[in-house]
Amino acid sequence: MKEPVIRSCGLAASLAYAAAIAWLYATQPQTMAQVTGGFASIAGVYKVDPQAFADGLRFFRANQFAEARAALQRADPAERDAQVQFYIAYSFYREGWGRLYNDDVLFGRGLAAVDKAIALAPAGRLVVDDPDLQMHSADELRAELQRGVTRDASDFNPLRVFGARK
Amino acid sequence: MSAIREAVVLPLLFLTATLLAGLRTGAAVALEPPSLFALVLATMLLGALVRSGALDPARLLHGSRPIVANANGAVVLATLFLAGSQVLAMVTPRTGLPLFFVDIFLFVLLLNTLVAQPDRVRLLRSLAVIFGSALVIKFVILASLSAPAGSRTTRVMVALFDAATFGTIAQEPHSAGAGYVAFAAIALFLAGLAALPSARPFAQSTALQPSTPR
Repeated sequence: MKEPVIRSCGLAASLAYAAAIAWLYATQPQTMAQVTGGFASIAGVYKVDPQAFADGLRFFRANQFAEARAALQRADPAERDAQVQFYIAYSFYREGWGRLYNDDVLFGRGLAAVDKAIALAPAGRLVVDDPDLQMHSADELRAELQRGVTRDASDFNPLRVFGARK
Repeated sequence: MSAIREAVVLPLLFLTATLLAGLRTGAAVALEPPSLFALVLATMLLGALVRSGALDPARLLHGSRPIVANANGAVVLATLFLAGSQVLAMVTPRTGLPLFFVDIFLFVLLLNTLVAQPDRVRLLRSLAVIFGSALVIKFVILASLSAPAGSRTTRVMVALFDAATFGTIAQEPHSAGAGYVAFAAIALFLAGLAALPSARPFAQSTALQPSTPR
């Protein structure tokens, strides 16, 4: 092989390897699925598993939130799909919501998931057109989760028991 | 130096060393960038490599070389710096007095190496000793003082030692594979240093030479 070809190929490979390392530093993936899914997403070939997503929605609408999250996480193992992350966050909201008090742990995990969804959405705007939901945008869901974990005087309002889950 | 070594082997070695040295395994996997002080130490390391002749920058970047060759040379220099800073950050303890003393230890050793201006072979041996010692300090000695497992007596001794030193010595425990990953990163980095284009041929250095007949 000619020297200029070797040098050009080596340069391209080195730059690609360096870019991959820089991406790993920037995104800090925790599992191999996140690594492979991230690279697939960069290449534009990442796809959510439609069957697992449908299963997740079915469980979600039946108020089986733990099962819904398991199916949704299987649908999006690399956590690269904004809509799936939105439903995961919504499942944390619905499971953690209570008439007397909210579950702060579940709401905190919901906040983390909705932040991920917002980060993945184009320009940070995510709207899910699902008639079963009462909050259609990630911004509404995030604000509701944030209100749920904030301690203020309204937490002691007795009329709160008449509130409805969204 | 062959084109394959300059364009493929050296960047591959240094980038892999960068990746391994930045890896922090534990409850969660994380990649930590090098500290500012590690960048300073890496700059001193590069200076020592150039002054000793272990690295001749003119053989990597020069006006007489083609553009692609100069780009390969720039990649080698950049990845060498990144790997050096990441390996130095890796062998430095994370907290407390060990962090302070190992930073001083590395700074003085590298400064001494920079001023003493050893030849290529002596510098490479010296760097192997520096990185090897730092690896043993962090991943063997300090790790054994901070290990959470062990017998009840060991745990009591560790707790007493921690209390006696006001918690300034004990470090966060490492995962089981951390030492092996660090060893691999240092080995790759030293292999890369040995493969760098040197300023002088071996005959002028302290490499073993045949004795001249009398």
